[in-house]
Amino acid sequence: MPEIKNFVTTLEERQPYIALKQKVKGETLLACDNTSIAGAMSQRACVYSGARVALNPVTDAVHLVHGPIGCASYTWDIRGSRSSGKETYRTSFSTDMKGIDVVFGGEKKLSRAIDELVELYKPPVVFVYSTCIVGIIGDDLEAVCKAASEKNGIPVISVKSEGFKGTKSDGYKAACEALKVLIGTKEGNIRSPYRINLIGEFNVAGDVWLVKPLFEEMRIQVVTSLTGDSTAQSISECHTAQLNLVQCTGSMTTLAKWMKEEYGIPFRKVSYFGIEDLSTALRETAEFFGSEEMNQKAEEIIARETAKIMPDIRRIRSRLEGKRAAIYMGGAAKALTLIKGFRELGMEVVIIGTQTGKKDDYLQISYEVKDGTVIVDDANPLELAELLVKQKADLMVAGVKERFLAYKTGVAFCDFNHDRVVEFEGFEGFLNFAREMDSSINSPVWKAAKSNIKDSVDNQAIKAEKVPGTHIENVQEDVVIIGGMEA
Amino acid sequence: MTERNYTTVNPCVMCQPMGSVMAFKGIESSMVLMHGSQGCSTYMRLHLSHHFREPVDIASTSLSERGAVYGGSENLKKGLRNVMLRYHPKVIGVTTTCLAETIGDDVGRILTEFREEDKNADGVHIISVSTPSYEDDHTTGFIKAVDAIVRHFTEYGMGNDIFNNKLNVVLGENIAPEDTRELKRMLEATIGPRSFIFMPDTSETFDAPMTGKVEKIFPGGTPLSEIAYMKNCAASIGLGITSDNRAVDHLETKYKVPAKRVPMPIGLEYSDRIMSVLSEIAGCEIPETYRKERGRLIDAMVDVHKYLYGTRVAIYGDPEMVLGMLSLSLENGMYPVLVAPSCKTPAFRKHAQERIDAMNLDCDVKIFEGLDFDAFNDVVREAEPEILIGNSNGKYISQQTGVPLIRVGFPIHDRVGAQRILMMGYRGAMNMLDRITNTILETKDIELEKKWLQNKNTDLQESCCGLKSAHMQPH
Ligand code: SF4
Ligand code: SF4
Repeated sequence: MPEIKNFVTTLEERQPYIALKQKVKGETLLACDNTSIAGAMSQRACVYSGARVALNPVTDAVHLVHGPIGCASYTWDIRGSRSSGKETYRTSFSTDMKGIDVVFGGEKKLSRAIDELVELYKPPVVFVYSTCIVGIIGDDLEAVCKAASEKNGIPVISVKSEGFKGTKSDGYKAACEALKVLIGTKEGNIRSPYRINLIGEFNVAGDVWLVKPLFEEMRIQVVTSLTGDSTAQSISECHTAQLNLVQCTGSMTTLAKWMKEEYGIPFRKVSYFGIEDLSTALRETAEFFGSEEMNQKAEEIIARETAKIMPDIRRIRSRLEGKRAAIYMGGAAKALTLIKGFRELGMEVVIIGTQTGKKDDYLQISYEVKDGTVIVDDANPLELAELLVKQKADLMVAGVKERFLAYKTGVAFCDFNHDRVVEFEGFEGFLNFAREMDSSINSPVWKAAKSNIKDSVDNQAIKAEKVPGTHIENVQEDVVIIGGMEA
Repeated sequence: MTERNYTTVNPCVMCQPMGSVMAFKGIESSMVLMHGSQGCSTYMRLHLSHHFREPVDIASTSLSERGAVYGGSENLKKGLRNVMLRYHPKVIGVTTTCLAETIGDDVGRILTEFREEDKNADGVHIISVSTPSYEDDHTTGFIKAVDAIVRHFTEYGMGNDIFNNKLNVVLGENIAPEDTRELKRMLEATIGPRSFIFMPDTSETFDAPMTGKVEKIFPGGTPLSEIAYMKNCAASIGLGITSDNRAVDHLETKYKVPAKRVPMPIGLEYSDRIMSVLSEIAGCEIPETYRKERGRLIDAMVDVHKYLYGTRVAIYGDPEMVLGMLSLSLENGMYPVLVAPSCKTPAFRKHAQERIDAMNLDCDVKIFEGLDFDAFNDVVREAEPEILIGNSNGKYISQQTGVPLIRVGFPIHDRVGAQRILMMGYRGAMNMLDRITNTILETKDIELEKKWLQNKNTDLQESCCGLKSAHMQPH
C-alpha cells in the first residue's frame, strides 16, 4: 500500500503507522502489531483488558481479578453484553492485593478468595485473571487454580493476562486458552441435525437475539455463542457443533483453528452486520450444510427481512448520501464489515484505523477502501483529531474515549463498542445503525457548534439610531457560522 | 452481613493514580504520564471521560516485558520526551502504577538523569508522585499529588519571597467543576477577585467550553505562577477535614502560612462555617447577596421540612462529600440511617459523630468505612433507607431494592450533567434539597397512584359483584 509520509504531524516514530491509500505502483506496508510507544498516548488497553472483554460475557462465571483494586474497579460491568440468564458476570470480584501480598506473595489469599467465592456464589466456573504485579511477584496461578479445582470440584481456570506481557491481542489469546479448558467437558444436548457456534459474538446490547432466531428458522441449532450470553454448560458442549462461524476474528480465530484441529470442526469468517454481510453469512451456512430446503429458507428470510427494513433504509440513506465516515475500531473484523455497511448507506469511508490490526488485515482494508483514505494503526487522540479535520469527516465510529474527541472537533459520533444500548446486528440491527447515523449526523446541534456570537462593538452607534427593543434582531444577525474548524 | 475475608466484591474505591490525575488536571498546562503498562492509563481515561464527558488524555510509559525486567528507565525517558514533543506542557506529572512500584524503579533518580541528558526538559516542570495502589486509594492519591505540586513550585519554582495578601484555598478531595465555580464566586464576593489561589481548579479543564478549536491541553487550571506564590500568602484554607491536607500542613510548618481547616461547604451549617471564616480572614461583612442566598436557603428548608423529616437516607461515596451530605441531611431532619464513606480516614468518624450528637435523633446511625458495594448492599437491606445518595455504582442496589438513588459524587457514568451538579454553598444546598424533595414527592405520587388504583378496582369489583374479594383489598 503506497503512502505519503508525514500526512499528519506526529512523532517521527509513529509515521510508519499512518498511510494514505493512493494509486501508485509498489507496495509499502503499514507498520502494525507492535507494542505502543511510550508517551504516544495510545488508545489501547492491556493484555488483561483483552482477556477480560473476551471472557466477561460468560454469564454464570465468577470473574476474579487477582491484583490491586484498580484493575477490577475500572472493569466492573464494562461490557454492554446482555444475559438471558444469570447475572454473575456483572459483579466485580477482586483479591484487592495489599502491600503485604506484594511482599510475601498472594497465593494464599487467592486460594482462600476462590474458596470463599465458590461457597457464596456457587458458580459453575471461576476465571482467575492475573494482572501486572502478579506477573512480577511470580504467584503460581496455575498451581493455585489446579488445587482449587480439585478442592471445589468445579473448573477454576487461570487466565494469563499480566497487563505488560504483550498487547490486547495477547489477552484475546489468553481468553481462548481459558475457553479451551472448558470446551468438550460435557456431553452435548443435540436437538438438530444442523449445529453451529457463533464464535466472536459478544451479545452487546442483545445482538445475538437478533441473529440466533435467523439460524433457528433455518432449523439450525446454535449450540453456543462465544462468549455473548454463554454459560459454562453451553461452552463445554460447543464441540458438538459441525460448523463454527467466526465474527470477531481478531479475538477468536485461534480458538476456531484449535477446534478444527481438535474436533475437526471447520470454520467460516462471517459478519452479521449490514445486509450484504449478513446475507452472505446465512447463505454460506446453508451452503455448508448442503440442504436445498435450508438454502430456500435462507433466501426466503433474506428477502422477507430486507423488504421489511428497506423502505426505512432508503429514506435514511437519502439523508446520509455522500457523508464522510471515520472508523476507529479495536479489531479489524469490525472495521472491515463497517466499510460495507457504510457503502450500503451511501456513505464513504475517509479514515480507517484499528488498535490491534495485523499485516493481513491492513492489506485487506487497503483493497476495500477508496484512494485518498487514510489507514492508521494504534492511533492517538492528536492524530485522530487532525485526521478528522484534514479528511473532513462528518462522523466517527469508535469507542467512548474517541466520542468526546469527535464531539470537540465538531464531528458526529456513533459508539460501536461496549457502550451502545441498541443492537446493530441482524436486519433490524442494521436499521438501528442507520437511525443512529442519521440522529448524529443530521442533528441541528452541529450548526450550533459551528456558530459564534460576535461582539457588537459598533452597536453603540446602531443602538443610538434605532428604537429601543429592536436590537435583539441585530444580535441574531450577528450569529456567525464558522466554516471548518481548525485543529 | 455476609462474611467475606479475602475478596472485594464491587469495589467502592479506585486506585491512587486516579486521584493523582484529578489533581494534575486542575493545574495550568499540565499532562500526566503514568509510569507503568498501557492498560491503567486507558482505564482511567475511560472512567474520567464517562463522568466528565470530555476527552481526557493521560499518557503511559507503556512498559512491556522488557521494561518490567530491566527497569522502566528507558520507557520513562522516552515517554517524557514524546509528551513534551506532542503536547508542549509546562508541567508533567509522573505518577506510578503498581507495576512500576513493584519492579522498584527509582523514579527520582531517573528524572534527575533525564534532566541532565535532555536540555529541552529545562522549561518543563516534572513532578513525580509515588502512587502504588496496593497501599491507599484514589482519595490519598489526590492529596499526595496536590502536596507534591505545591512543594515543587514553592521550592524550585520561580516565585520570590515577597509577602502577598492572598488566601490559599486547597482542596482535600476532588469536587465537581460546577462546585469549583460556585466556590470561586463565594471567594470573589468575600476575599475579592484575584485575591485567592484556588487549587486544583478543574472548572475549565474538566468542563471545557466548545470554542471551535481543539486544544491539546484545555486552558484553565490553577496558574503555575500563583502556586509558586502560595508560600507568601497571608493564610490558607484547607477544604476537607476527614484527612490531613498535606499541602496546607506543609505551607504552615515550613512557611508559617496560618491555616484554617473547614469541611466542604455542603448544607447550611458547613456553608456558614466557610462564610464566617472568609469574613474573618477578609475582615469584611458577609456580602448582602450571600445573606439573601442564605435566607432563601432557609426559606427552602422551611418549605420542605415536612417532606424531609424522618426520611431515612443512606449516604455513600468519597468521605468529604459524605460528611457534607450527612450534615445537610441532619439539619433538615432526615434520618441518615446509613453512612458509608468509600475509604477509611483518620477523622471522618469523629466529625460525623459530632454532627449526629448535635441532633436529637430518633434513629440509629450506622457508620461503615471502606465497605465494598456488596457489603453495602447487605447493610442497606437491614437499614431500609428510603433514599440513596451517592455515585452511579449504587445503581445496582437501587435497581434491586427499588430505593431511588440521587446521584452525586464520582463516578456518574449513566446520567448526564455530572460536571454541573451543584452541591456547595447556599445555592448548592438549595439544589440538593430540591432534588431530594422532588424525588420523595415523585415516589409518593407513584405510591398514591397505586393505592388509589387499587381502591378503585376494589370499588369497581364491589359494585359489580356486590362483594369485596379478599385479595383485592388494599394493604
Ligand atoms: S495496576 Fe494499580 S495503578 Fe494500574 S489500574 Fe491496577 S490498581 Fe490501578
Ligand atoms: S495493572 Fe496491568 S493488568 Fe491492571 S489495568 Fe494496568 S496494565 Fe492492565
